[in-house]
Amino acid sequence: MTSFQRWAFCLTVPAALLTLCLYVLPILQVLALSFTEPTLGFGNYVALFQNAAIGRVVRTTVFVSAVTTVLTIVMSYAVAFALVHMPPATRRVALFMVMVPFWISVLVRAFAWITILRRNGVLNSALVGSGAVSEPLELVYNQFGVIVGMVHYMMPFAIMLLYANLSEIDLRIIQAARSLGARPVTIFFRVWVPLSMPGLAIAGLFIVIFSLGFLVTPAILGAGRVLMVAEYISVQISSTLRWGVATALSTMLLLVVAILVALAMRSPALRAAFEGGRK
Amino acid sequence: MTPRIRRLLERALPKLFAWLLLAFLFVPVLVVIPVALTDRDYLSLPNNGISFDHFAALANWRAGWMASILTSLGIALASSVVATAVSAAFAIGAWVYVGRWPSILRVILLSPLIVPPIIYAVGMVRLWSKLGLLDTWLGVTIVHVILAMPLAVLAIGASLSNLDPRLVQAARSLGARPATIFGRVILPNIVPGTAAGAILAFIVSWDEITVTLFITSRGIVTLPRKIWTSIADAVDPALAAIATVMLAVTIVGLILRMTVWDRIAQRRS
Repeated sequence: MTSFQRWAFCLTVPAALLTLCLYVLPILQVLALSFTEPTLGFGNYVALFQNAAIGRVVRTTVFVSAVTTVLTIVMSYAVAFALVHMPPATRRVALFMVMVPFWISVLVRAFAWITILRRNGVLNSALVGSGAVSEPLELVYNQFGVIVGMVHYMMPFAIMLLYANLSEIDLRIIQAARSLGARPVTIFFRVWVPLSMPGLAIAGLFIVIFSLGFLVTPAILGAGRVLMVAEYISVQISSTLRWGVATALSTMLLLVVAILVALAMRSPALRAAFEGGRK
Repeated sequence: MTPRIRRLLERALPKLFAWLLLAFLFVPVLVVIPVALTDRDYLSLPNNGISFDHFAALANWRAGWMASILTSLGIALASSVVATAVSAAFAIGAWVYVGRWPSILRVILLSPLIVPPIIYAVGMVRLWSKLGLLDTWLGVTIVHVILAMPLAVLAIGASLSNLDPRLVQAARSLGARPATIFGRVILPNIVPGTAAGAILAFIVSWDEITVTLFITSRGIVTLPRKIWTSIADAVDPALAAIATVMLAVTIVGLILRMTVWDRIAQRRS
């Protein structure tokens, strides 16, 4: 190693020390605790599968995450597709409408949804006032409210990923399809959608992973009535102090995320998308 | 349906749908503005006129909003400086020292982008309670440095990938010492990426809530933490006022970025 190389190596050391000691080590300790707290063994994992309350939390998490992912992908694709087809000036306005919620604090967004969806909130006042409904609707502190908030949170991410993907598609392919007499609907489903599979897969993967471990929005818009994994872990740590259950559930969550990422990296389309993003 | 109407629908309906979805994204965040201007002292739309009392309440020191803003600013500045320095050192080191070690470390460094923060939060409560760093400035700042590093590394790395390695070769062949090359050849060339990294690191820390929620209690109240407890507690319109301020700052920042960005792009072309 030349002295120049040694210098470069030394420059990576502070980052290494910080992440290894204060990121990797605490997470490894979470994994270890799940086998040692309160007693040595697999007791916590047996409990995870036998406890009916945890089963309910897991089912809620999977259901809410699945619905959120499907809705987000379909809605974001529609926006990204429109973005690609807009004239530049209009596109700037549209991108601005995507970027404002993207950069706004997740707490502000959850709070905005509360003021809209509450029993005497903006939407219910309008609905009751106009006579559309006689009783205020239950729009929040239930799965509906949580899903609305989560879709709203995830959409800007998904739109940015899909827009980047769609704008790389060669428009001459579309022109070729059109000149061969394909109708717009045919072009959409048989040219655009297949060509955007890598983008769709990567956006879907990110949304599933974010949703499964999401604390803030489900906790605020669910208000304890829609208990998802992250909030359940948080209650175990801060109120009931059941470290064994909390760390075992965290370990399972980490395992699921790792499996999803590993699966994603096996798919050639996704690997290409990852590498394409790196260039 | 005649073919012409059908063609029109095929073109117009997707557009309409897309604009409705854009409205779904954008309009709800605006609702905090009228609520902040309400003349009542609970969350509602203005009744008999607008009032700026809830903005004034933010300035009242006893309400705690100013204190939490200052706390967040201090922690975000400190963690941005440290995260940028460490990330720049790492990015430059990894750019020069190509090998297995930097690429493995890079994956670990970027992993907080994917690993759910709740898992990290559980780990840090345990570690910080052992080290006595729960509910301290130092404890929160270190956690925010770790969480801010991925975006800083990405921004600085992007800047480095545009740098011509022959510059470094030239400097070496002219006999420049390593410290000179790093400080006077590489660093000045990646200033834009480093600045972007610093801003991103600041925003990550300023906004971070999940891990902070676990490692603080009464001593350190960052702005997100203050907002979190206010949402859980009840219905103070001051919350809408602070949300409006944050919205205004975001919009101004975005407009500035978009116009400055365009200027730079224009000058280049």
